[in-house]
Amino acid sequence: MSDVIQIEPVSRPVEQAELLTLDGVAVERHGKQLLHPTRLTLGCGEKLAILGPNGAGKSTLLKCLAGDIRDYAGHIHFDQQPLTALNGNHRARRIAVMPQHAEMMFPFRVSEVVALGRTPFTDEIVTRHWQERAMQLTECWHLRDRRYPSLSGGEQQRVQLARVLVQIWQALENATDNHLLLLDECTSALDPAHQHSIMDAVNRFATSGVGVIAVMHDVALAASWADTVVLLKNGAVMYHGDSRGLTDAQLLADCYDLPIELAKRHAASNALWM
Amino acid sequence: MTTASADSVRSNTTDNNDSNSSTSDSSTPIVNRQRLLWLLLLSGLGAGVVIALCWGPVAISPSQVFDSLWSLLHGDAIAGSNDWVVRELRLPRVLLALLVGAGLAVAGVVTQGVFRNPLADPGLIGVASGAALAAVAVIVLSDSILFFWADLTGPLALPLAAFGGGLLVTWVMYRLGTWRGETQVAMLLLAGVAINVLTGAATGVLTYLADDQQLRSMTFWSMGSLAYGRWPEVMAMSLFILLPVLLCLRYGRALNAMLLGEQVAGHLGLDVQRCKRWLLAAAALMVGAGVAVAGIIGFIGLVVPHLLRLIIGPDHRLLLPMSALAGGLLLLVADTLARNVIAPQDLPVGLLMALIGGPLFLSMLLHQVRGRMG
Repeated sequence: MSDVIQIEPVSRPVEQAELLTLDGVAVERHGKQLLHPTRLTLGCGEKLAILGPNGAGKSTLLKCLAGDIRDYAGHIHFDQQPLTALNGNHRARRIAVMPQHAEMMFPFRVSEVVALGRTPFTDEIVTRHWQERAMQLTECWHLRDRRYPSLSGGEQQRVQLARVLVQIWQALENATDNHLLLLDECTSALDPAHQHSIMDAVNRFATSGVGVIAVMHDVALAASWADTVVLLKNGAVMYHGDSRGLTDAQLLADCYDLPIELAKRHAASNALWM
Repeated sequence: MTTASADSVRSNTTDNNDSNSSTSDSSTPIVNRQRLLWLLLLSGLGAGVVIALCWGPVAISPSQVFDSLWSLLHGDAIAGSNDWVVRELRLPRVLLALLVGAGLAVAGVVTQGVFRNPLADPGLIGVASGAALAAVAVIVLSDSILFFWADLTGPLALPLAAFGGGLLVTWVMYRLGTWRGETQVAMLLLAGVAINVLTGAATGVLTYLADDQQLRSMTFWSMGSLAYGRWPEVMAMSLFILLPVLLCLRYGRALNAMLLGEQVAGHLGLDVQRCKRWLLAAAALMVGAGVAVAGIIGFIGLVVPHLLRLIIGPDHRLLLPMSALAGGLLLLVADTLARNVIAPQDLPVGLLMALIGGPLFLSMLLHQVRGRMG
């Protein structure tokens, strides 16, 4: 990647078309409002972190974008067209989703699991070199002949990320279409060193123009990684803006119901991560 | 097959040690193993068919067998009693064993893939006994309550009823055993026990309504036998089993993706609900058709995919066609043994399969419960 373009969130070109727009998206289940009407935009190459306490609606929001929830109110536009206009296969060719965890009882080899990422294109064989590079990028190349069920949780997570990245690897090579990467707490089982190397791998895609939305629990990691953050509480957006918002102690205290003293310390540590 | 699986374990360890080899290098032994297995299965099928046609209470020479097959292909009339035995008794039974075995093995692969668990055998989770109950109900009640059904469907009454029973149980098991897209194995197997008890009780009630002739055919249902296979059954089975098998072969890639979970399969672009409906209906049809003609023959759907996964891995694009061949071969071998070990008596092949499959299932269960799959 010689032509790496660092995209600054503040100075993002105005003429840059929005990759994703959410307009009044809301989800209701059994009379309970899981997600209140939400407005959100994401540009190409933008890195957005979704934060919030447990049950705030982070996963619900992600599921709307991933196509798991289809009966949401409001509109989602992806690449200038309604998300619902894409059928399953076409969506999978543009939007890759990293699940929180994926267990498997069957003894697939790691390389076979990664190859499953090419299912939407049915080109597992001709994209071997992509799969190899994806495994190297997520540091699981040395595991390629191991059986997936025998791996540790962190190793499985890295293999899953390789599978997800290989699904949209064409975004790095010959991108004519825009792509979106959705991550649901993809670093929850990783040690700090792997967390940062994995987020670096994700950044390679962002610099190639892939929009990335990551649900995160680790506020400090979000502060160091994201361009913009969304703070959710009780299904409503409390804050949407620059990641510098995470240095605001009062905001953290309100969002996570933290004592202000603790929130101040978090805010100070977040400022260090910027 | 046991030696082959031991080989696979040995070559896996060598693959792991040799960490410098690239993907293509380390996959070569796997490709060779696949070729060898295809060769073994096809030649095994050829040899098995000839042996099954020759071996029996009446010993028939291979040359006589080939003569009979030749004259059958040319549509010649039956000449002599040996010719009749080959063409009207043994050949339909052989073909039936191949078809039913293939159907049961593929149904096993499919249910295990959809339920995402290698223990989900259609027999164990009650699909086969549901199909058998429906078939028994048709046998016993076709003169009375179910007269309209027998009247409506004619000669297909039995396979269709068995299909319906199997489909119903499959659907119930899916509702019971799956919670938020995750299959609970314990729930699935325990619900299978409950379904087996229920259908057993219902079958027991039906025995009180049955006459002597019906009782005899019901005993045959519960143990499983191919002894009643003739050409009409073979014709019906080739429709009810070959079509679903061919349908399932197209879903290899989809099943692979579904092993990652239904949500992930959806993210990979599959219409998961549609795939699941087609696959489970095909499995119920294959099991139901098998039960209708041969009664309950368990464990083929468990044994065959398990052994094949040990040798070639869990890739469904290979597993499905190979299971069809290996399932047919296994049931053919078991049936040939069953009708010869206590000849001229016919040992129900279902009993034989249960003797082989029961211990294997227990060992798989232990393996899985102790978390050492893979």
